[in-house]
Amino acid sequence: MLAIDVRQLRKQFNVQKNREGLKGAMLDLFKREHTQVTAVKDISFQIPQGEICGYIGENGAGKSTTIKMLTGILVPTSGHIEVNGYVPFRDREKFVQGIGVVFGQRSQLWWDIGVIESFRLLRKVYRVSEDDFKRRLDELVETLTLGELLNRPVRKLSLGQRMRCELAAALLHNPSILFLDEPTIGLDVVVKTEIREFLKRLNREHGTTILLTTHDLQDIEALCSRVIMLDDGRIIYDGGLEELKARWGKGREVQFQFNDPIAIERLAFLTGGLDVRWSKENELTAKVWIPLEINVSDVLSRVVGTTDISDIKIFETSTEEIVREIYRTGSAETAADRIADPVRDEEAPTAQAEAVRS
Amino acid sequence: MRMRYTFELFREYLGNYIKTKLTYRADFWVEVVSDLMFSLMNLIFIFIVFQHTPSLGDWSEAEVVFVYGYFMIAQGVFSCFTNLWNFGDRYIIKGEMDRVLTRPAHSLAQVMLENVDPPSLIGSLVGLGIMGAAWAKLGLTFNWYDPIVLIVMVIGSVLIYTGLYTTLAAISFYSDSPTGIIPLMYNIQSYGRYPIQIYNKGIRFLLTWVLPFAFVGVYPASFFLERHADRTMAWLTPVVGLIVGAIGLIVWNRGVKRYRGAGS
Repeated sequence: MLAIDVRQLRKQFNVQKNREGLKGAMLDLFKREHTQVTAVKDISFQIPQGEICGYIGENGAGKSTTIKMLTGILVPTSGHIEVNGYVPFRDREKFVQGIGVVFGQRSQLWWDIGVIESFRLLRKVYRVSEDDFKRRLDELVETLTLGELLNRPVRKLSLGQRMRCELAAALLHNPSILFLDEPTIGLDVVVKTEIREFLKRLNREHGTTILLTTHDLQDIEALCSRVIMLDDGRIIYDGGLEELKARWGKGREVQFQFNDPIAIERLAFLTGGLDVRWSKENELTAKVWIPLEINVSDVLSRVVGTTDISDIKIFETSTEEIVREIYRTGSAETAADRIADPVRDEEAPTAQAEAVRS
Repeated sequence: MRMRYTFELFREYLGNYIKTKLTYRADFWVEVVSDLMFSLMNLIFIFIVFQHTPSLGDWSEAEVVFVYGYFMIAQGVFSCFTNLWNFGDRYIIKGEMDRVLTRPAHSLAQVMLENVDPPSLIGSLVGLGIMGAAWAKLGLTFNWYDPIVLIVMVIGSVLIYTGLYTTLAAISFYSDSPTGIIPLMYNIQSYGRYPIQIYNKGIRFLLTWVLPFAFVGVYPASFFLERHADRTMAWLTPVVGLIVGAIGLIVWNRGVKRYRGAGS
């Protein structure tokens, strides 16, 4: 069964236009001008149960708007949306019973009372039975090491501690889908790692579907089997992280440090027949660029046996570089052109639909 | 089922309120005292007026005080449950509505519960005392059904207030900053606590049929005042309460669909 099914989803906002100057302000008083901004432009994607999916994009790309439509906070302008078998905004109260939401920038907990009091209140709000609540709480306290925090008021917690409590709060009612909007924002490396481990475990042990937005691509690398990339309200990539790297990563670079000076021609001769490119850094250092089709070990084996090497470094294109590259090349169209077919298949009907509408 | 659930939630939120307030005890007493001071000022105002005139448009001092006592009861209950003054700022502009909407209870119930203000109920008790004193002074007869009628009337009046202020708060969903309406409303509201017969026709019409604040004061109170008894208008109180309450709920429910969230 699909956990999330979104087709041709669109969200438009009316934005007030403020005219300039005093005269403009006076005119605004009587007749407001509005401009329509389309934050999400007919996107479609399906997420099966039990998947961890990363939702990435620059600020203002439409990530939060999508999440808010998926969680029933915002009503879409048009399109089909089904989460957990519900249309979120229509059956909101029943629907939210089955989802957990964590907004990194906003607290779910009551500021002045102890964490455990907030949890108790949420138990009532979500109508969790006392037994289930106990079992669930024990488990969460253990996996998130909340023991000491439970009796402290939320306002006295550090950000990392609070975030762990937020996660627990969102999971007390054992939701089958968890939405996370920038869950690791502002956290230190240790806490980030803890949270990632926790999410992985949650997904493994409870089969919880997780959709998270993030700016930290390490989150994505650590967690997600799938990435949806958004730019200007459109999906520009939807697929595996490995494929993303394979398509956009331009190969790897290996740097050799030799003990004796060596001529670049000799290196090129050693790797003859392989489509690699050598460049010389200095007398003792050379770099070779290896496209993805060629195994790094093939190149290494040819070089290592015949030369005296003191050090080898392998550079792989990081996801971060890939993403930066995709954004740098700009608009969705060019990106869609450059990414192979699956995405284009989804883009095509969108374009058609738009043509029909206009 | 749903009522019971909401009622249980109310108990929980109230518990939370008390826990919070125990950490800020001074705050609690400041609030109680300032509430009472405000009511006392209004009462003193009535006494001063009656030092200069024996009656106000056929209403005696004790009768006006009686109406004011009733008004305080309704006002206290209303303020306890409906604190939507800063709704636009807090929930719409700062986006706290996001959190409310991810929880499985009615959004209006949640917003109301998150802002419960039990100290206001002390005002109701004082109002009840004032009403009782005026009752005795006027020598009104006491019927067995009077307390029940009073409860029904107060519920009606509270529904009127709640409906009106819910409607106003829901405007925040449509307009960016509807500041200015609420203080205006608050001013008009204060007319309702005096006998409406002392005003001219226009204001009377306004307070009865447009912004029915007269149903939070003189009309329901007149049920008990033998000399001014107007049973029809009195019994309209719960009816108008249900209508205005329903309008508030409908406007709110439609407004929520237009909620646009804030920031990222």
